[in-house]
Amino acid sequence: MRERALAAARGNTDLLALAVLLLVLLIAYQHYDSSLLTPASITILSAQFLPLILAAAGQTTVMLTGGIDLSLGAVLALAMAVFATYDAQGAGGVITAAVLALLVAVGAGAVNGTLVAYAGLPPIVVTLAASFLWGGVTLVVLPQPGGTVPGGLVDAYNNGWNGVALPAVAVAVVLVGWKLLRTTRHGLALYAVGGNEHGAYASGLHTRGVKISGYALAGVFTGLAGIGLAVQTGSADPTIGAPYTLNSIAAAVLGGISFFGGVGRMRGTVLGALVIGLLTNLLLFTGISPFYQLVAQGVILVVALALKTYLTREAAV
Amino acid sequence: MSSSLAVSVAGLRGSRAAWAFGVLGVTWVAAVLFADGFDSLASFRYLVQTASFLGIVAIGQTLVVMMSGIDLSVSGVVALSAVVCAKVASGTGGGGASGIAVALLLCALVGAVNAAGVVWLRVPPMVMTLASGTILAGALLVYTDGSPSSAQVPLLNSLANDRVLGIPWAFVLWLALTAAAFWLLHLSRTGRYAFALGAGEDAARASGVPPASTAFIAYTACAVLAGVAGLVLLGFTGTSSLTMGNPYQLLSIASVVLGGTSILGGRGHLLGTVGGALLLTLLTALLTSWNLSEGVRQVVLGLLIIGLLLVYARERRT
Repeated sequence: MRERALAAARGNTDLLALAVLLLVLLIAYQHYDSSLLTPASITILSAQFLPLILAAAGQTTVMLTGGIDLSLGAVLALAMAVFATYDAQGAGGVITAAVLALLVAVGAGAVNGTLVAYAGLPPIVVTLAASFLWGGVTLVVLPQPGGTVPGGLVDAYNNGWNGVALPAVAVAVVLVGWKLLRTTRHGLALYAVGGNEHGAYASGLHTRGVKISGYALAGVFTGLAGIGLAVQTGSADPTIGAPYTLNSIAAAVLGGISFFGGVGRMRGTVLGALVIGLLTNLLLFTGISPFYQLVAQGVILVVALALKTYLTREAAV
Repeated sequence: MSSSLAVSVAGLRGSRAAWAFGVLGVTWVAAVLFADGFDSLASFRYLVQTASFLGIVAIGQTLVVMMSGIDLSVSGVVALSAVVCAKVASGTGGGGASGIAVALLLCALVGAVNAAGVVWLRVPPMVMTLASGTILAGALLVYTDGSPSSAQVPLLNSLANDRVLGIPWAFVLWLALTAAAFWLLHLSRTGRYAFALGAGEDAARASGVPPASTAFIAYTACAVLAGVAGLVLLGFTGTSSLTMGNPYQLLSIASVVLGGTSILGGRGHLLGTVGGALLLTLLTALLTSWNLSEGVRQVVLGLLIIGLLLVYARERRT
């Protein structure tokens, strides 16, 4: 009994540490920007963080199955391009555009997943080649930055709609959706296949189908991230996706998702994405050149990972 | 009858490096026959010259992949060496020797840092090198203030553009570096270690393979080779840019894999990578000659890579 309690505490130490780190960041943030806890600030920040949170969630579902998606940024840009290129008029138009963008992203994810599951090619190779493919499709859809998103939607999204922070609500809805899915056999199957593929197969799971659904689900998250980014910026940019590939992996790994699959929780990923987002903003506040952002991001990622590996190794001994 | 055919086909599938050259030969013949401008000596010369840039990066990548690592920072390293060399050379004048030395030293340092992260901090190679690549991109922005300089370095200019006996120096350099890497990977003790680590790290450790020194040699060699490619590119274009390395990140890995090396490590041949780099350069040149838009070109290239991988680079199911 005591051992189990200890194990549970140990299992959550990195989440706890991450939460503490986030708290420290929030306090520092409050110091620079005292309007942090006002609805306006929350709306703006959540609008800014939504794409990364959702992209990281997509990377998480793939990593849980034991894979990796290096084409995530390309798919994100593709969804963004489709959404903004479809000249949406009125609510019906926006919904059509969103559905189209989501379908494209899910389709791209399903293709990635099918290649991984059936072709016997390692995920890293498949998604690397797929990043050419989806990047190219994006450029065909939208050769240069452009496209439009209805102004009313952009305004409501970035400045709040009747005082409601729409992006925060959207993230919450998506996370609740994941939470529900996680308790179903489909959600558990993702963990099972990532944790022990042979065991999952022997237990009667259709492991290939599970992998495909994992990549397709990543497509849902990534597509939503792309739509969010389009609404936030009011247009689309075909080359904007690349940083999201690294940052989504960074957030997931920070949040405790294992590279080998089957281990980790979505709440960790969300915390990881928030830490990365807040840190980036904080660096801007400190007034140093924004050029240092990239340096800091890379350093933080390495330090955090090394620290975690070190701590968990100590615990394991 | 059919079984002997199956065996010979299986044998062919086994030698993936040969596949790379086979596909290269067929593609080249097809290009000569069906596309304009591929039948002249000049076009052939240009092809091997431009393939050298990718090829030099790719042989370094092969060394790392063989020990089941991966280096995603090569794009940053290519830009690093070109930008630093251009800046130092334009600052000091002279033949640019100091610029070249500083650039290559920095590249070696990046490789060593990558290896240190992988070996001592135990950060997965993909994350470590992605992170160091990101740090490099940021550091270069800071270093150049966003506007990298151009420079004429005579030595690099002639290295990239001149010919000896009709053969581009860049190609000669590529072949020489390939020979050195061939020795390192296939003939030296370090190479054996790399293969052993790639095939199974635990077994290799238990057999006394030193993982740390092998990783340091592989990652440093990879970064230095990427640096050399950056220098040749600087000579070729006469200018440096922060994004000049970007294509080489994915293409170098694609060359390695198309060359028949397993991305999981432990299996493959360095010469296959040479075929892979030539093949990718030829395909890119073909697609360019058809006047396709940038987007369509990428789509076709992506589909071709996936198709080729499906034909001969599938991992055996365990």
